[in-house]
Amino acid sequence: MPADLASSTAAASAAPPAFRQFPVAWRFALRNQGRNRLAWLLLVAFVPAWYLLMLAITGHTPLTFRLFATGRTLTVDGGHLTLISAGLNSVTMIVGFAVFAAIRRTLAFDRRLVFAGYRQATLIAAKTSAIAVIAAAVAAFTALVLLAFWRPSLPGWLAISAAFAVIALGYGAFGLFLGVLVRNDLEGFFLIIMGGLMDTFLQNPLGNPLANKPVLEWFPSFGPTQFAVGASFGHITLWGHLALGLAWAAAFAAAGLVLFWIRTRTRVHAG
Amino acid sequence: MMTETVLEARQVRKAYRRHQVLRGADLAVRPGQLVAVVGENGAGKSTLLKILAGLLAADGGEVRLGGTLGYCPQDPVLNDNLTVAQHLRYFAAARRLPGLDRAEELVRRLGYEQARDQTAGELSGGTRQKLNLTLALAHDPGVLLLDEPYQGFDWETYLRFWDLVADLRARRRAIVIITHLVFEQDRFDVLADLADGRLAPRERSGRDRHAR
Repeated sequence: MPADLASSTAAASAAPPAFRQFPVAWRFALRNQGRNRLAWLLLVAFVPAWYLLMLAITGHTPLTFRLFATGRTLTVDGGHLTLISAGLNSVTMIVGFAVFAAIRRTLAFDRRLVFAGYRQATLIAAKTSAIAVIAAAVAAFTALVLLAFWRPSLPGWLAISAAFAVIALGYGAFGLFLGVLVRNDLEGFFLIIMGGLMDTFLQNPLGNPLANKPVLEWFPSFGPTQFAVGASFGHITLWGHLALGLAWAAAFAAAGLVLFWIRTRTRVHAG
Repeated sequence: MMTETVLEARQVRKAYRRHQVLRGADLAVRPGQLVAVVGENGAGKSTLLKILAGLLAADGGEVRLGGTLGYCPQDPVLNDNLTVAQHLRYFAAARRLPGLDRAEELVRRLGYEQARDQTAGELSGGTRQKLNLTLALAHDPGVLLLDEPYQGFDWETYLRFWDLVADLRARRRAIVIITHLVFEQDRFDVLADLADGRLAPRERSGRDRHAR
């Protein structure tokens, strides 16, 4: 063994680490998310196509939509309401799928990193914040594309963007949860796609005659939908409903991260 | 001096449901020693190695490890979206290493420096295995547990691997290699046959026989 190697090894315990754990984990978690080409394709091609298709199907039929916070019933342009549902739905699928795939495919690798001495809390923090960045980016893009089909008021558009961001966080967290829970890819994809479709379109009275029934309050997209519709059609800001969407995100994230912690923990560290 | 061990397993037992895989396996490895754990498919070799590494809990028995550990799993555990160089940085961060000197040296010695900027998903099976091995060795551990480490290596890489092992032994690193076929038994100090859940060591005569 060359002497320089022996000496570099001897110095290992004394010298400071060359790389700090959080920045490395954060950058690679983001890169890992960003390398999902199918998710990029879905974002660029599916989002405008889905808006276009849903608007073509709906037309501009007037619909009555109930704001649960106030008890008021609004009569709104069905096409515009459906654009909100379509945007929410696109975001659930793309973010849910991207996060699920990234988490699931790296679980064994993450376990190896923890075994090698990575702090679980650091990995978890890096992954969570990378998911938040991806969720915000997808939501922003989806909200921008919406402007090609409908120009709501600025406060309305900002509220819709916020609702997209919150549902993106919710389904990002759902993807994380499923990524550490399910045994194979198909189960996860099915749950994300069907869950997202049911959740978002059941909130819309066009597709669901029961959309104004209280049972829908128990769905993850209820809060963000109410918030977006309230601000863009009813000129009221339902912060509590936006917070409800965040609570769903926090609950899924907490469940997912606890499972991640359990599944990556090791008995000893290889140091 | 002969009794000094860096890895010792006593009466390790493990069952998967009612299938008893290990029934009291004993192993003692000294610094600089190269041990082969040999056994047929399904004999419990990988189970034993995971227990030695601390990745799997035994049902009974005791494992004592002195010093740092490097573990190389049989199937490469990599992130297909990250390049070779990024893997090296990730594991340097995990182990809080002061630099990448040792890892880069291993990449050169195993002969895949041209693949530094390729993602793991783009690598051939043999190169994935080289990276897998590099990650286990990059912190220069005192005890190495290698599960079929030269699977997929071409002949030249196989020889480079044994050169590397010779260096590690000269620096008194203890190495346990799992294999289901021992082509060149002379390379090993101890051949431990895993059969019926127990290890039967065949100590070889001298350290001078290890060189190729």
